[in-house]
Amino acid sequence: MSRDTREITVTVNGAPKRLTVPVRLLLSDLLRDVLGLTGTHVGCGQGPCGSCTVLADGGTVRSCLMLAVQADGMEIETIEGVAAGDGALHRIQEAFREHHALQCGFCTPGIVMATVGLLRRSPHPSADERAELMEGHLCRCTGYRNIDAALAALAGEG
Amino acid sequence: MAVGLVGTPVRRLEDHRLLTGKACYVADIVLPHMLHMAVVRSTRAHAEIMDIRTAAALAAPGVRLILTGEDVRDLGPLPCIDLFPDSKPALHRVLALDKVRYVGEPVAVVIADDVYAAEDAAELVEIYYRDLPVVLDLEEAASDAPPALLYPEFGTNVANICRQEVGDPDAAFAGAAHVFEETFRIHRYAAAPMETRGVVADPTAQGGRITLHTSTQFPHLVRAFLGGVLGIPESEIRVVAPDVGGGFGAKCEFYPEEVVSVVAARRLGRPVRWIEGRQEHFVATTHAREQVHAMRAAVDADGVVTAVTLKSLTSNGAAMFTLATTPASISSAMLRGPYRIPNYRAESLSVLTSKTPLAVYRGAGHPQAVLCMELMMDRIARDLGIDRIDLRRRNMLTKQELPSDRGTAIVLAGKVVYDSGDYPGCLDRVLELAGWDDRLRRQAEARAQGRIVGLGVACFVEETAIGPYETGHVRVDGSGKVTVLTGASPHGQGTATAIAQLVAEELQIPFTDVTVRHGDTDVVADGVGTFASRGGAIAGAAARLAAHKVREKAVLIASELLEAAAVDIEWVDGRAAIVGVPGRSVTLAEIARRATAWNSLPTGLSSFNLDEVAHHQVPGISFANAAHVAEVEIDRDTGTVRVLDYAVVHDSGRIINPMIVEGQVHGGIAQGLGGLLMEEIAYDAAGRPLVSGFQDYFLPTSAEMPEIRTGFMESPTPLNPYGMKGAGEGGTTGAVGAIAGAVADALVPLGVRVAGDGPFTPPAVMALLAAARKGAGA
Repeated sequence: MSRDTREITVTVNGAPKRLTVPVRLLLSDLLRDVLGLTGTHVGCGQGPCGSCTVLADGGTVRSCLMLAVQADGMEIETIEGVAAGDGALHRIQEAFREHHALQCGFCTPGIVMATVGLLRRSPHPSADERAELMEGHLCRCTGYRNIDAALAALAGEG
Repeated sequence: MAVGLVGTPVRRLEDHRLLTGKACYVADIVLPHMLHMAVVRSTRAHAEIMDIRTAAALAAPGVRLILTGEDVRDLGPLPCIDLFPDSKPALHRVLALDKVRYVGEPVAVVIADDVYAAEDAAELVEIYYRDLPVVLDLEEAASDAPPALLYPEFGTNVANICRQEVGDPDAAFAGAAHVFEETFRIHRYAAAPMETRGVVADPTAQGGRITLHTSTQFPHLVRAFLGGVLGIPESEIRVVAPDVGGGFGAKCEFYPEEVVSVVAARRLGRPVRWIEGRQEHFVATTHAREQVHAMRAAVDADGVVTAVTLKSLTSNGAAMFTLATTPASISSAMLRGPYRIPNYRAESLSVLTSKTPLAVYRGAGHPQAVLCMELMMDRIARDLGIDRIDLRRRNMLTKQELPSDRGTAIVLAGKVVYDSGDYPGCLDRVLELAGWDDRLRRQAEARAQGRIVGLGVACFVEETAIGPYETGHVRVDGSGKVTVLTGASPHGQGTATAIAQLVAEELQIPFTDVTVRHGDTDVVADGVGTFASRGGAIAGAAARLAAHKVREKAVLIASELLEAAAVDIEWVDGRAAIVGVPGRSVTLAEIARRATAWNSLPTGLSSFNLDEVAHHQVPGISFANAAHVAEVEIDRDTGTVRVLDYAVVHDSGRIINPMIVEGQVHGGIAQGLGGLLMEEIAYDAAGRPLVSGFQDYFLPTSAEMPEIRTGFMESPTPLNPYGMKGAGEGGTTGAVGAIAGAVADALVPLGVRVAGDGPFTPPAVMALLAAARKGAGA
């Protein structure tokens, strides 16, 4: 097994980090095991479920399908950086709570991160844009209707 | 403030933590000097193990330990708790010894410094097999001449036979005007929670006690099972279910990794972590549903079903897991659903096959039973030219006929006696909600345009809130805040919120003053767990009973503080006040402080502290009911089944939080829809599963889900002090029946007869359409 390492510079939730990482280390493992940001969940390790979604330079990525070294020079955002530090929820999180858009909560951080990215690009996303977002996320608990309602409310259609 | 809290859609206490990334699932637990485990699994469906060579793996970087079946030879097998007295105890070993019986069976484990090293080394473990014949087909497995016996010592692959007998079915068939027969086939699929299973076994606690963090639905039972397998007292074991990312029954089982991780951790003196991979999950975590039901119905000239007989087979896979006979038991006990059918006989076999063990999944045996019964009702209606709603009404138990002893029994749960409900009323309500007559008219129009559209209706009764008991411990400390310890172990259901609502209403305090703790056997001394739609109803009742006792004790303490007789004290807004004397009152905090250990014992009390424990011992099963209506359209060019519309009226007794109950119904419907239209674990001829993850096991996405209109009825049960029944599983149970009925209805004009649950995936539906065309052309 390769024990090679590389030095990378990565900004995580606004804080710059210089790290030496094994070349085979996944971004999800860097976030979770090295940096202790366990709010990013790995539901499949294969891509389809979307639970591990984070933002990399503003775009959504599956952190389980990306190597940590590929994040060199990038700005990564995770669920831990979404709410302000004062304990208040971000309005996306508040909408999820209000609409009961989560049950076990395992898939939720990935959907919230994708929503953060979408609302930045498109503050009032259309039904098609919201549906496109949800194509990338599996949830086994909610049956999705309440997630869709939360997203509609965030788009101003609630 | 808190009066009337029960029954309101308060937002969940759980959500803040879950939404901000502060939850702690088992994979989030990091302990000092923690090692990592990878499991080497059988690649063969049935084979003798000739040799296991571990030298190369042991020499790999970072490897600390390898265990094989020989190393745990002395450990007992994993228990099955629903065996019948004459069951064949085909129990699963911790690691395979001499033989493997399914692809995915654990053969060895590798413990290494990190998970990458453990998985690399696991690849280097060499296992030499001699293949044996595989047994995949359920009817072949159960026959007198099966291709192989999985456990030759039993002389059969039939591990259990569950029988039900009510009335005189033979006489009813002899006198029947019509007899209907059908064999329904139900395919294999799985719960597939978003969080896979996982464990962290920690042997470093004081005195060598074991702490097992595990993604489970029943930590107290895991503690008991682990103690039993290891032969150590439960007091030496702490089991913690941290945040759990969904279970749906698949985590209501005791698994080999929960033992072998502990063995390895004790051997090495260091914590050991294992997190199941998604591909691994589809062979290592229990599957569900697969059954064949051969059903006969006797019907009189008026369309009254006078008798039903059932011979069913359940493909239990290669071993009897924790709850192995339950699917067969429930589907046989509950087949008749809300219909009178006074004569009934069932013989339900649990059969061993060369597949991953199969056990309970949301609804357990109910979805299969509802599917068969409702497809049979539709067929009887069609063949006799009776409206299918009318046929259901003719056979349905009325409110006045309840309670009704059905003459059947469910393993572990007891006698089936329907307690309360209004089944015809529920059907009426859902037809109204669905706009049934209008939908029938539009269906006729759509058919005239050549569209393939169908309507399905499913009415069912389901076992919920099973016992034997649940615990609740309510404690008020000097801060005036309330802590509830519950024996339930919720994992997404919002049970902490529901319990907080019940306790806050009892004590008339803000529900944010209530903290609910669960899932840690060192914190909650006793409990049973969360499964079988029991958490809210049973644990909720226990917690509220304890809160009621706390309130009574608080009044006694207040009577001393206020120098008033207890009868003159009323409880208002979380305070004890003297009736008719404004301003004379004490707060819950003041009362709790009076009862602390550094004060004298309050007058008239026999114990310190404002805390009380209650058990809610369940006197019998309470039965929820519902009616579902689904409308589907089939794309004749792609075979895709689309659910266009959905309506459900659900009755689970008194509702604690309608938002949560509706969420349970929604999620349940999605799982029923996925199981029928998308999900399947098929095997090739060699017994290898054809599923490797969510890229080929398709869960429903948002795009597949219809709008769902939900209505509620609340028929309180006399079996619960607050009238509550369970709501966790009904969505799935009803959806399976309603969607299968709609697909079958859609295909009737094409001459396709649906007998089973497909799955109605696009290729399978295309095959049905092609066969229909061929039949029409012939």
